Amino acid sequence: MPGVASDSGDGRSEVSVSSNGALVPISTEARNSIVVYPLHHGLEPPIARLAISWSRGNSLRVSVFRPPSVEGSGESEGQVGGKVVEVKLSDGDPEISDAQWRRIAYGSVSPFALLQSRRSAISSLSWGSASTSPYHLDWWEYVMEYSKDISSLLSGPKLPSNPIIEDSKTIFKKGEEPTSLKAAWELMELFYADKQSQAWLPERLVDWLADYDSLFSSTLATTHSKLVDFQNVLVNLQVIEDNPKYWEVMSSALAVGWLDIVVKMLRLHGSYQLDQLSNREIENGLVEAVAVLVSKMPRLRPESAAGQLGDCLKSKPDFIKAWEKWRSQITKLDCSAFWIQCNNHQTREGLKNMLQIMLGNTESLCTATCNWIELFISHFLYIRPFTMGVDSMYILAQKCIQLKPVSSAHRLTGLMIGILGENTEVVLAECSREYGPWMVAHAIELLTAGSEHAEILLHEERHNLGGISIVELHRLVYAQVLSSHALTWQIAPIYLTSCMKQGMGLLEILLYKQPVQHNEMLLKNIEICRLYDLYHVSSNIMKVAGVYHWKHGRIGSGVFWLQQAQDAIRLHKIAQQLFDSVGKSISDESFKQWEGLIELLGSESKTAGGLEFLRKYRDFKKSLQRVPGEKSIDAAREAVQSLILLMKNPSTPQRFWLPLLYDSLKLLNWQDQDHPLLNVSETNLLLNKLQELSLARLRPDFIEPSLPPNALSSVRLALATNLGRAMLDE
Amino acid sequence: MAVTALSERPEIHRLPQYKYVDAVRWLPASSAFDRFAALALFDSDSGACSIEIHSFQPNPVTLSPHSSWVSPSRVFSLKTSQFRQKPIIVASTFAGSLHFLFSDPADASLESEVSVPENPLHSGTISCIDLMDGGVECVTVGEDGRINLVAIGDSNVTPRRVFDSSGLVSYTAAKWASPMEFATGGYGFSLQWWDQRKPGGPASQFKGNWPQKMTPGIVHSIDIHPSRKHTCLAGGPLGTVFAWDLRWQQQPIILSGGGAGAGNTSIQSISESEVWEVLYDPYVKHSTTSSRILPSMICSEDGILAVLEQGGDPIELLAEPCAINSFDIDRHYPSDVICSLEWEAIAILSRQ
Repeated sequence: MPGVASDSGDGRSEVSVSSNGALVPISTEARNSIVVYPLHHGLEPPIARLAISWSRGNSLRVSVFRPPSVEGSGESEGQVGGKVVEVKLSDGDPEISDAQWRRIAYGSVSPFALLQSRRSAISSLSWGSASTSPYHLDWWEYVMEYSKDISSLLSGPKLPSNPIIEDSKTIFKKGEEPTSLKAAWELMELFYADKQSQAWLPERLVDWLADYDSLFSSTLATTHSKLVDFQNVLVNLQVIEDNPKYWEVMSSALAVGWLDIVVKMLRLHGSYQLDQLSNREIENGLVEAVAVLVSKMPRLRPESAAGQLGDCLKSKPDFIKAWEKWRSQITKLDCSAFWIQCNNHQTREGLKNMLQIMLGNTESLCTATCNWIELFISHFLYIRPFTMGVDSMYILAQKCIQLKPVSSAHRLTGLMIGILGENTEVVLAECSREYGPWMVAHAIELLTAGSEHAEILLHEERHNLGGISIVELHRLVYAQVLSSHALTWQIAPIYLTSCMKQGMGLLEILLYKQPVQHNEMLLKNIEICRLYDLYHVSSNIMKVAGVYHWKHGRIGSGVFWLQQAQDAIRLHKIAQQLFDSVGKSISDESFKQWEGLIELLGSESKTAGGLEFLRKYRDFKKSLQRVPGEKSIDAAREAVQSLILLMKNPSTPQRFWLPLLYDSLKLLNWQDQDHPLLNVSETNLLLNKLQELSLARLRPDFIEPSLPPNALSSVRLALATNLGRAMLDE
Repeated sequence: MAVTALSERPEIHRLPQYKYVDAVRWLPASSAFDRFAALALFDSDSGACSIEIHSFQPNPVTLSPHSSWVSPSRVFSLKTSQFRQKPIIVASTFAGSLHFLFSDPADASLESEVSVPENPLHSGTISCIDLMDGGVECVTVGEDGRINLVAIGDSNVTPRRVFDSSGLVSYTAAKWASPMEFATGGYGFSLQWWDQRKPGGPASQFKGNWPQKMTPGIVHSIDIHPSRKHTCLAGGPLGTVFAWDLRWQQQPIILSGGGAGAGNTSIQSISESEVWEVLYDPYVKHSTTSSRILPSMICSEDGILAVLEQGGDPIELLAEPCAINSFDIDRHYPSDVICSLEWEAIAILSRQ
């Protein structure tokens, strides 16, 4: 993107405000938000006209015209009259490059197609029963499979494992660079598709934040960024526990439930060092007690990922029992007399604060967490560790936002509020605004799996959308995006065919728009027509291709494609043009050049149109050649049969009648046998043709064949003689 | 013919390129440690076209860019061979130019380049090229109906016209059979045999008696085995793969496809769409005395990479959700196959 313009100097003009003629009047208050980009078109002023249109994809085509040159002024000598500049509007998502988006688009085709085929299989099974909604079946399992497939595509590049301070001093490690797209997808999967882990939704949210907390660092303070900062100063710290940052970072990590990090950090405490152990025994005991409590925290979840701490309990009664016990242990430690004997102030205060966090002290949690999402998540860990409804989650989120207001919204928080607010439209709008058409088209599958209400809302046909549903609308939009790129248009049909109302119409337009110049691309196009039974489309495409090749002098290709399209009319037209050149080259007995084309026409005359004449003419010529010296009577009879067939056939062009007869003179004058080769009726047929021909010669458009001047008379004479002999013979 | 060797699934590696792969070939290997592949790439974001040489590591499978050459237009046909102990890459472009790249035998870096511009050879795209073994001569065929031979020298190339059908017949495939003979293919399953000792036209023309209902199509690729130069293997639409034996002129030997309504139900069709490339597969063991057609490998628009054997069941190696546009079997390590996928990726198969 070019930089923002400060002025509009010579040789460049501004697209929006150019030449006083802005299409949309710009109000004064909007003027501040207008960004002006200079366009380098290299034309000398003045610029007379500017035309802007869409180009492929995200590009604008700007045509800049100079005024028409004034005659005789000589001023615009050597100046071009105008220039066309393509302006790429934006690179879209800064997080994901165009090529990466295409990889995602390719990869999501198979999961999407599989889900659609499953949907249609299920709805055809339940057809006729009261409900055609797949919601009642174990539909979500299919949706989950789909969601996992899609999610695996969204992973960012794997980060190299960071061995700088591996072992004791690495507080946390990263697997892959998290992307906001994947975070959004997983959030929706969590709430809408994953019915199995609905029971431990709070714990799933804790895990989600652990994976994606770093994403919020761009606009908010986060525990992750605190940890990164602390990690950087860690190596230079002599007495770690004297640093207030140490305790602050640790309590933040504890508040969002990153237990392994907390325990790891606690073990960095100075009292663990061998030379210190003897005189800081009590202090060390307290640190270790907290570390044990942290690592023994009961969690209501099936199992935790490898290396994660906490006691996982599946059933609620077990959990409540363990939870109460754990809390009483914390309270006991909190009231213990050892604290008085611990003379390190920092350690005492830090550990006490951590105990308060674990006891769910709202104030401590509020101080420890960095933003409202972290505060929200910490509530699930320490205050209300049981499943709660989405509505109460929403109230909780509102409360957290009040406690920790945000100055600028993050793309993920908008989505989260939409989800918690159970507002499908808001979720869709957020997806569309922040993540684009790919996200909406694919995430809709998750939304519809979420609830029957959403399913109805999204599949309902809407008058204001021209009778299509929201689902279809977004698929069409995505398909348009795919269609606008030369490499992705081939996958657009998958999405278009899943649109009941307008998909097929748009698919036909898409197929017609593809270039036909190269066979490979043409065949890929025709293959799509075949897959969706669009034979009328492929036939039209082949006609276009046929005419294209014909026009560019590739006669064989042209004929082939028109034959494939069974376009007899155009083949006939081509035939008329071809015969002009045939007359010259075939009569000099050189079939070599034509042989290939005649072979291509095949033996089935119905697909060859007027061109079938070529094959018959060739056959006739061949049989004529096989009549050597006037000896072989069979060959001669064969040749006569070919001749009669040709003359009878209406597709034989008139201009070939005389050359054909002239070529056959030796058949007409056949003297070898007692009987002539042609009988009376055959001779009459030929004579009639000759008569017709002499009438046709009077017409102005008649093309005189290049034959000796006596050709006509010698043919007439031969026919007359033959007629006489045939009459005598009969 | 038991193909026990293939009973195990091959190891498959898919490597996204983030660029459209127009064609892919192995370079003749100089040693087991230095193996290279040539990729013709098209970057749709910048519109740049290039031929990149990637070095291939089998364990673990990686392709890493090694050297590259900027092409003036997208590559349409790509072939590799050896010319005086040097790997040579020949490419024809959409625009119709022809390029010879000579590379260093030791490290496969590009040493020199000779180009023939658009117009003298063909008008429009050169649809297929083939290099003679030893790389002395290259045949080019086009939709314009011309056939040229380009003799390769150390620093120059000399083209000469063999035939010009003036567009009456278009050629879409070509393959050398011997230093004197080559075969071409085109529309309507046509195949021609050319002998340089018999100039003026094709020495022989295949007129197959195709089943009535069969749709004639375009021959996309031909292969001829050096030990059996009388047999042309060809691939076309609807999964059709057939062989033309010069000694049995009229009858094609159908190996796959041939149309479902053809009445010949004994022959399975491995694919339902265009067969883009056919190559004899030296990896599959075959009795030398057998008169059957040698085993071959094909790739298709519907994403199939498979091995075909006359009289045996086809073996599917890959079934991708997108088209496989080209593939190549490493001549020195025939267990390794490289193929280009429609969705901007390369797949490498290692057969155990």
